[in-house]
Amino acid sequence: MDEARNSSEAGIAGEDGGLDPREAATLFEQTRLQARRQFEPAPPWLLVTRAVMVLVTCGAVWLSVRGQHSYQGPTAAVLPVVFTFVVVNLGATLLVAKRATSGVSGRSRLRRAEIIVMAVAWVAVFVVMGVLAGAGVSRAIVYGLYPTTVPFMVVGLAWAAIMAARANWRSCGTGLAVAVVGAVGAFAGPAGAWAVLGVGLFVVFVGNAAATAWAQRRTGPR
Amino acid sequence: MTDDALDPLIHVPARLRIVATLAALEPGDTLSFTRLQDMIGLTPGNLIVHLRKLEDADYLTSDKTGNGAGSRTTVALTSSGRAALDAYTHTLRDLLGGL
Repeated sequence: MDEARNSSEAGIAGEDGGLDPREAATLFEQTRLQARRQFEPAPPWLLVTRAVMVLVTCGAVWLSVRGQHSYQGPTAAVLPVVFTFVVVNLGATLLVAKRATSGVSGRSRLRRAEIIVMAVAWVAVFVVMGVLAGAGVSRAIVYGLYPTTVPFMVVGLAWAAIMAARANWRSCGTGLAVAVVGAVGAFAGPAGAWAVLGVGLFVVFVGNAAATAWAQRRTGPR
Repeated sequence: MTDDALDPLIHVPARLRIVATLAALEPGDTLSFTRLQDMIGLTPGNLIVHLRKLEDADYLTSDKTGNGAGSRTTVALTSSGRAALDAYTHTLRDLLGGL
């Protein structure tokens, strides 16, 4: 970084700066990698951290519900774990994304219509959950199977559709993978769905981190 | 092939860093002058000089919105700027026998 900056200043002073092809190649690679890292709203370290946190959180919930003869839902003891995960994940995601996209505008930013679609998807699944609870549907469905499967299928598919429309196939694949995790959980029962969710999202986020790291390092234009 | 084959407009450390940084954006995105300055580490005057040279060659576009203290300038590589950078890196690879 300092080396790159020093050679940059030399260039301003003398315009050609005595830059030989090897120095130019090094400077180009350093600058490109650094820029790609700085513009990335979901860097690999954040995705891996999120993967570990979701595994721990869902694992804690699964441990609290797996012994229940009739499903009652997560115990009060694990709610602080879930709350901490939601707050830390949301806070870190917004902070990192805000820093990465500062000063960037244009096509990569979500459009108003796309934000509305995602917001409606999130709100709708929980409105339906409330309706099911009000209609007297069993706790195993309302507080077990439903929240561990339906939101991830609906939101994952909505995200995949938006990203497919943008031809952003990596993000589209992530959305589809999240939807698949939700769908697989539906076959695991209300307690098992938490385990499927934790392991499934862990794999999705770690895979996404690896794909992002690879994309940042690959040769050629973005 | 000699160094002379390298595009002289890009083959300057400051401008190489500017072009490489802007090329890391998604196509269709623009970057604010202040963020670019923060990433490149040049003074505003130096950055303006280099941006103007690249803009004169149609390698980038700039757009200024607003007036006075609230004004905001954004820059982006043009398609010819991306093509010129591609050609530059190809030439570098040829000179070095693989980047």
